[in-house]
Amino acid sequence: MIYLITALDAEAKPLWDHYRLKRDSSLPYTLYRNDEMTLLVGGIGKANTMMALSALLGWRIPETGDILINIGICGAPSEYTIGEALLIHQIFEGERRYYPDILYPHTLRESSLVCINSPQSIVRDYPVDMESSALFQAASRFFKLHQMAFIKIVSDHFTPESVTKEGAMDLVRSHVKTLDELIRNLQSVQVDSLLFTSEERQKIDALKGHFTKSQGDALEDALNYFRLKNPEQSLKIDHDIPHSKRERSQLLETLIIALTA
Amino acid sequence: MKHSSLPSQPKLFSHLYIERGILEHPQTQMIRVKFSDSQVIVIEHYKEVFNRSAQSFAAQSSAKKLILARKEGKFLHEGSQYSDGFGIKQFFYASSVMGCLYDCDYCYLQGLYPSANTVLFVNLEDAFEQLTPYLGEDTLVATSYDTDTMAIESLTHQTKSWLDFAAQNEKLHLEIRTKSANIKALKNNIPNDRVTLAWTLSPQEIIDRYEHATPSLQKRLSAVREAIQLGWKVRLCIDPVIYTENFDSLYPQLIETIFATIDPESIEHLTLGSFRMSQSHLRSLKKLRRSDVAFFPYTVKDEMATYPETVESYILETLLAKATQYLPQERIRTWQRQS
Ligand code: SF4
Repeated sequence: MIYLITALDAEAKPLWDHYRLKRDSSLPYTLYRNDEMTLLVGGIGKANTMMALSALLGWRIPETGDILINIGICGAPSEYTIGEALLIHQIFEGERRYYPDILYPHTLRESSLVCINSPQSIVRDYPVDMESSALFQAASRFFKLHQMAFIKIVSDHFTPESVTKEGAMDLVRSHVKTLDELIRNLQSVQVDSLLFTSEERQKIDALKGHFTKSQGDALEDALNYFRLKNPEQSLKIDHDIPHSKRERSQLLETLIIALTA
Repeated sequence: MKHSSLPSQPKLFSHLYIERGILEHPQTQMIRVKFSDSQVIVIEHYKEVFNRSAQSFAAQSSAKKLILARKEGKFLHEGSQYSDGFGIKQFFYASSVMGCLYDCDYCYLQGLYPSANTVLFVNLEDAFEQLTPYLGEDTLVATSYDTDTMAIESLTHQTKSWLDFAAQNEKLHLEIRTKSANIKALKNNIPNDRVTLAWTLSPQEIIDRYEHATPSLQKRLSAVREAIQLGWKVRLCIDPVIYTENFDSLYPQLIETIFATIDPESIEHLTLGSFRMSQSHLRSLKKLRRSDVAFFPYTVKDEMATYPETVESYILETLLAKATQYLPQERIRTWQRQS
């Protein structure tokens, strides 16, 4: 699943258009979905975004391989061009700092970002937004750091009053291809840690159920050993389980020897 | 599908995280010049990047970042029970780097650190200062203990600095353990009798399977030959031995390959040792689920996981029998659990 998080409806509209997402009313937040993607409009500010994201991720807990992207507009110093998309490698929030992992090559300009509490007319050293630090904190409970990305499109040079709803939509719309690319990049570094198919997993768990906890752990290790060493070979997990404890222990020993031979 | 104009792998050290306090340090500046295309991110302390929670060691392994920092406190740590101090009573290892450029499946660093990134402590001058009070007596320092310092020598010049320091201090012995084929540092220094270069060698099949990003066996052997020719003291280590179904052919053949081109008389010792790891590091290794090495049914005793005694003895007996065809027993050192 790809989770896209925006603060504003205006930032979300070009995305649900582009990805043909349907409105979903499962949560008391603005949500659009299809089979591969969930788009959440989390609202403005840290508290709103933290609550909305926690509700979403608690409702549909991410799985291995899922990714999360926060996309939105931001104010920035004048050395950043309006309309430029920035990939964030450091987020400041007061004394705290957060670092998403960027483990893929890309062509975007990278930047630090300051997460603030209210719209800024004061010129800062870095681009600013109002949600990223809260999103990072909530999301890092569910995602590894390389599964998250923060992309900010420069909307103004600390003149928030100049930003219109249509302007925000145009800025995001102009970067849907950038987002496509970022999604591909994030997905390319996913490390698949699932060694067994769900069918194999069911059989393994059933088999382990016949043994004690420590015997089950030893069997699990041996199965991992076998799969990592022989990724192409199929597992033979169907066994008749003897009634006696002693015979079960013998079976376990035979299994472990065979798997780790 | 990937962007057509981009390489599929990010370049090494695409990001430099640099502590604010060492931005002006000469080594920092040298590294910045070398990696002028990399993103520079100024941080306050290396731990805010290196120790983050929710990092993936496996994902980071193919896109390592470099963190430049100042080491606070002790650079030197007392030698561990898992290694050999070669009879020198004062035995330290120096940790001037955390993490390794190489990526061996059996490496305990995966269990030790939360991150696959490399932290380079640039203030090596402080290590020398901390070591100086000990140098009235013979002291051995393993400079490449938690890493492979030679692997990043072109970046750090730390091996060169250690060699220079050892040249000036007559009681200082160094052990520099490596899998690297880069011996430039050795070429620029006069060979020193108190310095032992210890090359870890493995069969090429084991290198391919478990020692990712390391030089091939042939490259390592050429580096060994060159170091010997230059006059350096060399020790060879077949350690850790990874027990596999074709152990019987792979490892004895490795010993033959080594001594087909290296005169046994020209090396100090051959070290043989089978895989071993503390139970807690092994547990962390298992969590990563990266390699079968983590899941072998080891025997755990006194918190240390080793091959079962029969396998361990078989490994050592087989290799000893082969190695004694080339070297007298007293020049072969073995690691075996003391029962
Ligand atoms: S070379 Fe040594 S320190 Fe580096 S990854 Fe391999 S085992 Fe670990």
